[in-house]
Amino acid sequence: MGHFLPYFKKEIKKHLFDYLLLISAGVFFVVALNIFRGERLIDFIILLAFTSFYIIWGIYHHIIDDTLHLKIVLEYVLIGFTLLFLLKMIIFP
Amino acid sequence: MQKLTGFLRHLFIPHEENNFRAKLLHHDFLTYYLLFAIFFTFILKISWLSNILGFATDITVEKLYQLTNQERQKNGLAPLNYSEELSQAAYKKAQDMFTKNYWSHYAPDGTTPWNFILASGYRYEFAGENLAKNFLFSDGVVSAWMNSPTHRDNILRKEYTDVGFAVVNGILNGEETTLVVQMFGKPLEKTITLNQPKVSQAKEKTSVLLPSPSASKKQIYPQPVVLAKEEKQNKLNLTKFSLDINFIFLTFLLLALGMDLYFAKRLGVVRFTGKNIAHFIFVIFLLISLFYLPRGKVL
Repeated sequence: MGHFLPYFKKEIKKHLFDYLLLISAGVFFVVALNIFRGERLIDFIILLAFTSFYIIWGIYHHIIDDTLHLKIVLEYVLIGFTLLFLLKMIIFP
Repeated sequence: MQKLTGFLRHLFIPHEENNFRAKLLHHDFLTYYLLFAIFFTFILKISWLSNILGFATDITVEKLYQLTNQERQKNGLAPLNYSEELSQAAYKKAQDMFTKNYWSHYAPDGTTPWNFILASGYRYEFAGENLAKNFLFSDGVVSAWMNSPTHRDNILRKEYTDVGFAVVNGILNGEETTLVVQMFGKPLEKTITLNQPKVSQAKEKTSVLLPSPSASKKQIYPQPVVLAKEEKQNKLNLTKFSLDINFIFLTFLLLALGMDLYFAKRLGVVRFTGKNIAHFIFVIFLLISLFYLPRGKVL
C-alpha cells in the first residue's frame, strides 16, 4: 500500500475535476436507474449513456493528460462495450 | 504448482514478460471478453430460448404464493387459499392490459379489476389487486409490494381468504413486458357458511361456482398460471445465470484492475495505458446497478 496510496492521492489531486465528473455521472446513472426501474428501454438508454460517457471521458481525460493513443481509446471501448452487452442480458432477460 | 503460480502471475501481475501490464487487461483478452459478452447476450439466449415466447424472468406463481403466505404468517395472519378463479381473473386482467395497452388498476374504458373477478365466476365480499411489472425474481416482487404501504395493506388484510396470480409476458407500449397480477378475495358464500370446517371451504366454493354461467368460459383460458410454470424450467437457469455471470465478471475485472495497479505502482512502472482508477470507478457503479436492474415497478 506504501506505493499505491501516494499514487492514488496524487492522481486524484491532479485530475480532481475529471474524477469528480466521472463519479457524478456514476451517481446520476444509479439514481436514474432507481427512478426508472421497471422501464426496460429507458434503463438500457441510461446504461448506454453512461457507457458512452465513460468512453468520451476516457478520450477527454487522456487529451488533457497528453497521453491519448488509439490503443488507450480501444481499451475504454472494449471494457465499455463488454459490460454494456453483459448488463443488457439483465435489462432484456 | 510452480507452473500454476507462474501462470497466475502472468495473468494478474505486471512484469517484464507481459510488458508490465496484467495479461488479463491486454487488448487480446479484452477482445475475448467482448466476444464472450456478445456470445452470451445473443447466441446463447437464442439457442436456449428458441422455443419460448417472451422474456426469461424467474417469477413463478408457486414462489409468489409461498412468499405471500410467508408474509401473512409472519404477521400472525392465516395463509390464503389458492384460487383458480382469481388466477383466471388475474390472467384476464393482464391480457386486457396488453390488449388495451395500459398499466393501471382501471382500464381506459372504465373496466375495473372487479369486472374480471366477477367474470371468472368468483362472487366476492372483499376483493383487492396488486400489480407489478418487469421484475426478474419472485422475491423482488413480493418485497417491493411489502415496501409499499398500500400493497402491504392488501397482502396483510385479514378479511381476505383467497388469492390468485398471473405472470404474463407481452407487449406493452411497444416494449416486451412481464406483468404480475395478484388478486385477493373473500367469497360471498363463505360468510354464509362461516361455521363450516376450514378444510371444506375450498371444495364448497368450487361446487358453488361451477354451475355458474361463467363455468364454460373457464375453458377458454386454460390455466393461465401454467404459462409461467412451463416457462420456469427453461428460463430459470438463464435469469440467475446471467445475473451471476455479471456479478462474477465485474468482481473479476475489479480484482484484475486492482492487482495490476497495485503491483505496477509497487514496481514503479510508468506505462502508456488507460487509467485503472477510471475503469475501477466505472465497474463499481455497474456493480451497484446490479442491485437495481432486477427490480421492476409496482402499482
